[in-house]
Amino acid sequence: MFSFLHSSDLHIGKRFGNLPEDLRGRLREARHGVITRLASAAREHGADTILLAGDTFDTETPTPAVLRQALGEMARNRPLRWVLLPGNHDSLLADQLWSAARGVLPDNVILATEAAPMMLAPEVILLPAPCTTRRPGRDLTEWMTGAATPNGAIRIGLAHGPIQEFSEDATATNVIAPNRATLAGLDYMALGDWHGPVTVDARTYYSGAPEPDRFKHDRPGQAMVVSIAGPGAMPTTTAVTTASFSWQTLQLPLLASEDGVEALKAALPEPFTRRQTLLRVALSGRARLNGRTAMISLLEQVAPEFAHLEIDTDLLGTDCESDDLEIIDRAGALRDAAELLLAESLDDARSGDDRGVSREALIRLFSYCETIDR
Amino acid sequence: MKLTALRLHNVKRFAGRGIAVEGITDGVNVLSAANEHGKSTCFEALHALFFQPHSGTPKNVQMLRPYSGGNPIVEADISIETGRYRLTKQFYSGRRASVTDLGSGRIVAQADEAEAFIGDLISGGTSGPAGLLWVRQGVTGIENRSKSEEENDKRVRESLLSSVQGEVEALTGGRRMTAVLEACEEELNRLVTTTLRPKTGGRFAAALEERDRLQAEEARLAKEVEMLHGALDRRRSVQARLRELENTDEEAGRKAAIANAEAVLEAAKLHERELKALDAEAALAASRRDAAQQAYDRFLTALNRSGELARRFALAQKELSNAAERRTASLVESEAAAAEVQAAEEEERVNREWLARLEAALRSRHAAERLAELRQRLEQAEAARQQIEDGEAAHALLAIPADAIERLEALDLKIVGLRAAAEVGLPTLRIDYLKDVSGTVSMDRQPLPGGEDKSFAGMARLDIAGVGTLTIHSSRQAEQDGALETAQSARQTLLAKLGVDSLLAARQRDIAARSKHEELVRARQRLADLAPKGIDALHLDAARFAELSEGPVELDADPEEVRTRLADATRRIERARNRAREASMMRTEAGEAILRAQTEHARLHQELEAIEAIIGPEAVRNDVQQDLAVELSSAKEQFDAAELRAGPLRRTGRDLAGAEAALARARSVADAAGREIARLREELADLGGQIRTRSDSAVEENWSEIRDLLAAAREQVKRFETEVAVLDRLRKALTATRAAARDLYLKPVMNELAPLVGLLFDDISITFDGDSLLPQIVRRNGLDEDVDRLSGGMREQLSVLTRLAFARLLTRDGRPAPVILDDALVYSDDDRIERMFDALHRQSRDQQILVFSCRQRAFARLGGNVLAMQPWQPD
Repeated sequence: MFSFLHSSDLHIGKRFGNLPEDLRGRLREARHGVITRLASAAREHGADTILLAGDTFDTETPTPAVLRQALGEMARNRPLRWVLLPGNHDSLLADQLWSAARGVLPDNVILATEAAPMMLAPEVILLPAPCTTRRPGRDLTEWMTGAATPNGAIRIGLAHGPIQEFSEDATATNVIAPNRATLAGLDYMALGDWHGPVTVDARTYYSGAPEPDRFKHDRPGQAMVVSIAGPGAMPTTTAVTTASFSWQTLQLPLLASEDGVEALKAALPEPFTRRQTLLRVALSGRARLNGRTAMISLLEQVAPEFAHLEIDTDLLGTDCESDDLEIIDRAGALRDAAELLLAESLDDARSGDDRGVSREALIRLFSYCETIDR
Repeated sequence: MKLTALRLHNVKRFAGRGIAVEGITDGVNVLSAANEHGKSTCFEALHALFFQPHSGTPKNVQMLRPYSGGNPIVEADISIETGRYRLTKQFYSGRRASVTDLGSGRIVAQADEAEAFIGDLISGGTSGPAGLLWVRQGVTGIENRSKSEEENDKRVRESLLSSVQGEVEALTGGRRMTAVLEACEEELNRLVTTTLRPKTGGRFAAALEERDRLQAEEARLAKEVEMLHGALDRRRSVQARLRELENTDEEAGRKAAIANAEAVLEAAKLHERELKALDAEAALAASRRDAAQQAYDRFLTALNRSGELARRFALAQKELSNAAERRTASLVESEAAAAEVQAAEEEERVNREWLARLEAALRSRHAAERLAELRQRLEQAEAARQQIEDGEAAHALLAIPADAIERLEALDLKIVGLRAAAEVGLPTLRIDYLKDVSGTVSMDRQPLPGGEDKSFAGMARLDIAGVGTLTIHSSRQAEQDGALETAQSARQTLLAKLGVDSLLAARQRDIAARSKHEELVRARQRLADLAPKGIDALHLDAARFAELSEGPVELDADPEEVRTRLADATRRIERARNRAREASMMRTEAGEAILRAQTEHARLHQELEAIEAIIGPEAVRNDVQQDLAVELSSAKEQFDAAELRAGPLRRTGRDLAGAEAALARARSVADAAGREIARLREELADLGGQIRTRSDSAVEENWSEIRDLLAAAREQVKRFETEVAVLDRLRKALTATRAAARDLYLKPVMNELAPLVGLLFDDISITFDGDSLLPQIVRRNGLDEDVDRLSGGMREQLSVLTRLAFARLLTRDGRPAPVILDDALVYSDDDRIERMFDALHRQSRDQQILVFSCRQRAFARLGGNVLAMQPWQPD
């Protein structure tokens, strides 16, 4: 029985420049902290080896502080063993990174920088496929098929890259054969690159990032605890939660007749989780003028409770009924202005931007009138 | 639209019961009742019917409900162009709305359709004023206004405006509009200047600055990162190259290459030396062979040439002798020709002189003949001249002035006339003598002829011979005007001047003068014929001819003959000269031919000598040719032998330069490798430094961070831009619609209002500002007052008048609307109310006006259709 922890895409050193300044530090710190959380997950599940399937570091030239502190944290968690595979962000081209790492390498950290069998334990052989460059343009795992290992050894593949025409980097030319595990007689194929966990087949997994860094996947960050009873045995996998921040997208499709505020209230995360939650509220469908302003003001009200809150109304249509206009005014110039803006916002002859401006102006007029009447 | 009836049930204080106001007519209708009788309830119910959707329960509807609850029902009968209708609304449970055609009793619309029907009645679209115009006690619009708002100092003028403008304000959005615009502008002004430029120090400007800063920073870092990557790439390639260079196999290969190249060079050099020696030998042989060949060739050529020269020499000699003969002949000819020329010239000279002499004698003879003729003509001319001179003298004596005769004739006529005139009227006397008696009577010592009348003047004395003297006196005197005497005197003077004694004599003289003149003319003609250029010219000609005629005049030969001989001599000269020229040319040609022949002769001779020097005397020529041929063949053999030895060496030629270059290249490869290794090591060290510096300062991480920051900043700028666009759009829309509403309604309403104000307030006038349409100045009793001073009464009156103005406007537009006044005149005194009613009545000719009032007494005597409330239960 051999147990290990499979993770990838730590992206240590990532800066999050697009987020507010005070949040940036916390997110960066969370990325560093994931090392400790991975270590404790491994200990908890009785795994003594942690395989990191690429993109441990965010850039090819991390600062000495980032590199040393990460290695230091790994060293602190002896006797756990860490195997680091170069991914596309920290490929073998990043010789500065890897040579610097070699210079200060703790004895419990192994750099899988060569495509050659590596013994992890008696009868357990690791076949790593380090990324040679950012975009190698070929299947780096091909060598695994012909790699000779002693009879009766467990074969574990470790690779980084897309298996289909999808990739975190959108341009995928280095596609890994999805059935490499079968082709190469692997007991387990540990893949990295995709930040969400994916089960390719019974022996092939993407662990996903342990600490998410974007809204895209909408899944909590996790790692994979893998146990293999012996050569040819089916691996058993257990997902363990490792993230300290939750990146959630709240999709809220609305009907014009619906009370968006109530739907929103019901869908918002529990208050005690909000500090560690980055929330993107994607409103779609249709809403009435008053419903819309009410939702926005509700969100603005709760926004400070969250680590971060984004509102996306691009797909939200605004309905303006006559009684909405009544709220603006019964008649007269205000009402005229409102109807003018409404007509403009529905005028297909205008550009999308123009319509948007007119719609926003109408919403603004509506909220002014509401404020005045209040 | 006109209202004809109003009914309500379960509204406010009418819990569980209803009232009806029927019989509302055109013109002024007054519903006058004490307070708490439900007038205001009527007012509100009517308002709700028209303005509150039956489906909703907003505050205004809630207020309609009695405390006990229930479903308020409001109903109104109206009359419009298309017919008469009943509008019904029920609120809360059983809520409904319906429109019933009163003509047919059929329901024409329900629910939302009914609402739409009502909506059409009260508005001509949202931009028009409502089809019902309301005025309420103390307030000017139907909407609620807070107390504090009313009291706000800043609002004083605006509230006054609203008191005047009332419904108008609803059109322009009023205070809501002002507040919205203020809010909009406040937000906008926080971001941008009035020209929509980002405001310095504002958040928008800050976002823009931040973006620009990040953009610059991003560009800088991108460059840094690019350099870093460049350095990393370079270091990799440098390292690869170094590994290649420092490979031991490569090194040994380079050394072997040098040794090999050296050996090749040595072999090439040896070969080169041998080949050079053989080449020299062959060259020498070749030159000897060439010399022998040349000598042999020269000999053969000279031999051929000598034959040719001998033939041409003989020809040249013959030519020379021919030329000498020609020259001698030409000399003889030339001399003969010269002698002939001389003889001919002498003969020509003699004949020419002879001819000259003969011509001179002929000229003298001719001159003598001309001289005689000329002298005769000269004599005649002199005679003619003498005759002219004489004639002129005679004519001068005879000539009289041209008009003298005429004048004399005129004077004679005049005298006769005058005389006759003098005698007319004078007494006359006549004596007729007896036969044979005569001369016995004389008068004035003149015998008096008989038988004729004789006039006299004054006194006539007749001497009668033998009788005595008879004196007769007449009272008539002769007229003494003197004209006759003057004429006679003039005649006498003229005659004397002419030197004649009568007209006849004068005439005779004139004839004589004319004949003399003709004679003179003839003489002059003759002189002109004889001496056309004058007598002096004749004298000169005569003198000239006299001189010419003095030479000899005898001829010794015939001039024609001499002339022929001269011509012959001239022709001879010409012929002889041509002959001489011809001979001279022949001579020259012969001289030249001799010269040419001599030159050719000499040249051939020289050449012949030279050739003989080469080929030698005739005797040895064959031997010489034999020797030369032998020498040539021996030289050829030598050359062929040398070439035979050099041939193989040449064919196996080695490339010495190539071998040298190969060696140099092999050496330079080794040197270059050494230098490159050194250089690459240095570069590697440099690159290492650069990479360390940059990666230690985290440029890549910074760059990625800055890119994210920049994207965020750009989004932020975009948000601000959108915000500004939205606010600007809103502001523009608001100001545009407000301005449009003002233009559309305010001015027309002001125009309508002015005469109404005049009706009510004859002692004051109100001036409105043209732009803001606010009341500007109130002029009362000749004094200008601040508008804020207007009393409550005046305000409400203005408010009512404004509605009336509106109603007039609507009527004019073909949309008549009732004006509804709910205790609208609480602040007004009776006098004003009366005036107001005058205005209302005047207005109500084409206008329905509904007045709710509690002032029963005041309103009782104001006229109008008095309405009453009566109980009512819905069906």
